[in-house]
Amino acid sequence: MLAADEELANKVAELASRRGLTVRQTVNDILEQALRVEEAGISLKEVVEERWMLEKAQEIGFTFVPEHLLYQVVDAAYGQGGKQLSENWRGVGRWYGKYFSAKTDKPLDAFKEAMGLLTFGASGFSLEKQKDDRLTVACVSERFTEGFTEVFSLFIEGVLEVLGYEVSDREVSKGIIKLKLSKRR
Amino acid sequence: MRSQPPEDTKLLILPTHLVDRLKAIATRQGVSLSSFAAESLEQALRANEMDASLSDAVDAYRLSEIQRGAGMVDVPRSSLNHLVKRLYAKKGEELRRVWGEAGRWYGEYLRAKLQPGEALGFLEKELLVAWNLDEAEIRESDTEVAVRWVSFTMTGEFTELLLSYLSAVMEALGFREVGRDSLRGMATLKYTRIGVK
Repeated sequence: MLAADEELANKVAELASRRGLTVRQTVNDILEQALRVEEAGISLKEVVEERWMLEKAQEIGFTFVPEHLLYQVVDAAYGQGGKQLSENWRGVGRWYGKYFSAKTDKPLDAFKEAMGLLTFGASGFSLEKQKDDRLTVACVSERFTEGFTEVFSLFIEGVLEVLGYEVSDREVSKGIIKLKLSKRR
Repeated sequence: MRSQPPEDTKLLILPTHLVDRLKAIATRQGVSLSSFAAESLEQALRANEMDASLSDAVDAYRLSEIQRGAGMVDVPRSSLNHLVKRLYAKKGEELRRVWGEAGRWYGEYLRAKLQPGEALGFLEKELLVAWNLDEAEIRESDTEVAVRWVSFTMTGEFTELLLSYLSAVMEALGFREVGRDSLRGMATLKYTRIGVK
């Protein structure tokens, strides 16, 4: 016998009823699957987290693309006219800024979470809230090309602009984005 | 004397063979059997909130692992569409070529990573989840493979690039394209096994 928290046990009972199974069958199925995952050396928590991230990425209109292809396309388009391309990425950033503002009352946290998806495996991203409503943003990847670094920095600026921040210090060079922002008065 | 469980707990009955395996894993992780089981139940409920079972979640995890290993990144679809649209008029052929090369590489990668017979099922899931298509179906019969996909938002240019990419993936997996019917955001493709007449 297994002692389980009453609230958890009730939720499992609800799940069982929705699936038309007994509580016992449901618990056994879940634990059987959990064991198979863990015995394969994977953490069940990580598995569910990954599923959640994929769902989030789909929900906010992200798509997968081979990383080198993305940089190649960005650089080619950047070479054909950087200004228009820059405006587009800033515009997409503004769109996401509005999306996060409308969707949640903590848009900055939602943005930070989304950047975790965007920078998937490729780079380090950090967004830190400082005193006096200041923000510091850093994104570093050795694989970013010059053109991609530039447009990506404008995407970030676009989001944060809509969330009420303006750039007070900007350092952008191939593979490195460092921004300092303050709340617009 | 047996101790009574606290009032805010319920007792769940588990078969002995499961308890033994649970104990082994819990001991390995340095947690109690109850906490391991509770964490598993919590995660299953979380997956259920996403309308997924734990086995769906495992599939998604595997998909992400393979994609990450193949150097895929997530980007806003609108930005990608804009880039492609800008370049397509002048460099459409080159773009189709590089998309094809990327597809061929990815197909070879899938062959190396997956068990024989797993690739088509994986690709179907990938089209839906990673390429964010609205519908995707891959059906395999003795003689051919039929692929059908739909996206209500995909541009014409991107449709052509995905076609180049997908056919190259299929070729690397051992299938030759023998039929294609496509419109913006929609395609039906037929393939036969290379070497089969």
